[in-house]
Amino acid sequence: MSSPLWYVLGFAFAGFTFVFMTIGMSWLITHRHKGDRHKGMPYESGIDTMGDTWGRFGLSFYIYALLFVAFDIEIVFITLWALVFQDLLLGGFLSMILFVAILLVGLGYAWRKGVLTWK
Amino acid sequence: MTALSRPWNRLSLAGKIILPLVAVLIALNITLVVLWMSGLLPFLVQAILDTLGANIAILRFLLAATIILLITVPVAFMNIFFEMKLIAFVNLRIGPNRIGPWGTLASVIHGLKVLAKEDFTPRGVDVPVFTLAPAVVYLASVMTLLVVPFAPGLHGYDMDIGLLYFFAISGLGVVGLMMAGWSSFNKYSLLGGLRAAAGMISYELPLILAVMGIVLLSGTLNLNTIVQNQSGSFLDWYIFQQPLGALIFFIAATAEGSRPPFDLTEADSEIVAGFATEYSGMRFGFFFFAEYVNMFILSAMTAVLFLGGWNAPLDLAPIANALGIATPIDIALDPGSMGPGLLWLVLLAPPLIVGGLTAVIWMLKSDWSIIVSAIVAFVLFNLLVGGGVMLLLAMGIDWVMGLVWFLGKTIGLSLFFVLMRATLPRVRIDQLMGFAWKWLVPAALVNIFVTAAAIVVLHEIGRPL
Repeated sequence: MSSPLWYVLGFAFAGFTFVFMTIGMSWLITHRHKGDRHKGMPYESGIDTMGDTWGRFGLSFYIYALLFVAFDIEIVFITLWALVFQDLLLGGFLSMILFVAILLVGLGYAWRKGVLTWK
Repeated sequence: MTALSRPWNRLSLAGKIILPLVAVLIALNITLVVLWMSGLLPFLVQAILDTLGANIAILRFLLAATIILLITVPVAFMNIFFEMKLIAFVNLRIGPNRIGPWGTLASVIHGLKVLAKEDFTPRGVDVPVFTLAPAVVYLASVMTLLVVPFAPGLHGYDMDIGLLYFFAISGLGVVGLMMAGWSSFNKYSLLGGLRAAAGMISYELPLILAVMGIVLLSGTLNLNTIVQNQSGSFLDWYIFQQPLGALIFFIAATAEGSRPPFDLTEADSEIVAGFATEYSGMRFGFFFFAEYVNMFILSAMTAVLFLGGWNAPLDLAPIANALGIATPIDIALDPGSMGPGLLWLVLLAPPLIVGGLTAVIWMLKSDWSIIVSAIVAFVLFNLLVGGGVMLLLAMGIDWVMGLVWFLGKTIGLSLFFVLMRATLPRVRIDQLMGFAWKWLVPAALVNIFVTAAAIVVLHEIGRPL
């Protein structure tokens, strides 16, 4: 029971209970009306919705997500490296420089290609 | 259903809250009376006490979960009040001043208003995802409070990977925002959700990389140990060893909490309310509840990591000992140490303070006679002295002062967040994304390698950390 996993899972459960109890309480004390068909329309500045909503959107979001994955893996390694760095010292320092340099080449390539500039 | 719902809907808000409460209370009373009459109550109480005694771990968990979930409510109300009042002062307005002293209860009324609003589900939305999204966003922010060290020995769970846990859980907020944006069946919501995701994942990198300097120096991910490493004077705080890291962390935290000037996710001039456009009622309320709790948590993390957490800026006890002066705690515990000063304190201070208070009250309240003023002043003086003694005794317990320092630093940083909202204009989306990738990430990497190089050099010249 005192393991961290139980704490985290139990706390998540307690939080879910809190959220849905509050929403349920608000559901009990509020007025609800079905309304006409205009009430349920998506709010797009007062104009009837046009075209497909769940359709295409900008490609740049994908590229940021890809870059994020690359750097997030790097963070996993850097965290562990930083944790034991006081024992590694010079050797660890040089190898991490090499590792980050390879990644920075990738970032530089993306920068050069103009990916980092929002279009 | 309609036969029941019609009289129910006709009730006022107070009636709707009181009626179920009365029913629950009557049921509780009947149960208690039945138990008492049948003589089962003592056995039941004993059984409950035994169970609790045997399960201290479960009891501690329940207490921690309840307290952490419940303190988010006053914390959010406090931040909303700061935002209303402080921005009003910056704009040379008065701000809320009707409900409660200085309008302090205005945010509570706002919360009750959101609770009483209609919670409407528009046509075309993906209902399960739409309903789950606010819960995910709220949980992603509130679950990080589990590892925040509030005071010495006062924390939800002392986790060895506390820092990693914090970043892992707070990163889940992106999922909730994407769920809200995608399920809403609205183009503004979709754009808002995608912007939120792009912005938050971009600023998550500098946020974590900025803290790596601290991990390098302290060699641990445990937040309690990190705070203990900063004990001593304020010069031992990590902000003086990691100034660049602190700056990057604070900027990235502003963007992570989608606080102005980086609040592109809910830029009302561009995409209505972003991912929250289609939400109403309490499900909408939880998004903003989560935002204000997030503001508190990010301030708390900045305080814990860079400003020494619950450590006082100056440890006064050694200085007082060196000068031979008794600290307030010593005086409270041993009044005899004051010597002849105590005589003056007991004989002269009460009449002088009561007289002074009487004069002030008499001048302020022109319709009160001087005797009424004196009585009020005497009561006020007793309350002040009682409170002061209680405070001094409380200061003897270290976690009370720790909590005071921690909350002081956290609330100061929250006020700074609010001031940033009041003074800075919102940035453009291309500026936001470019700043994260072209400036903050390289700067954070430089910070890591400079710190690492410094550790290596210090070790080579024979003065390891």
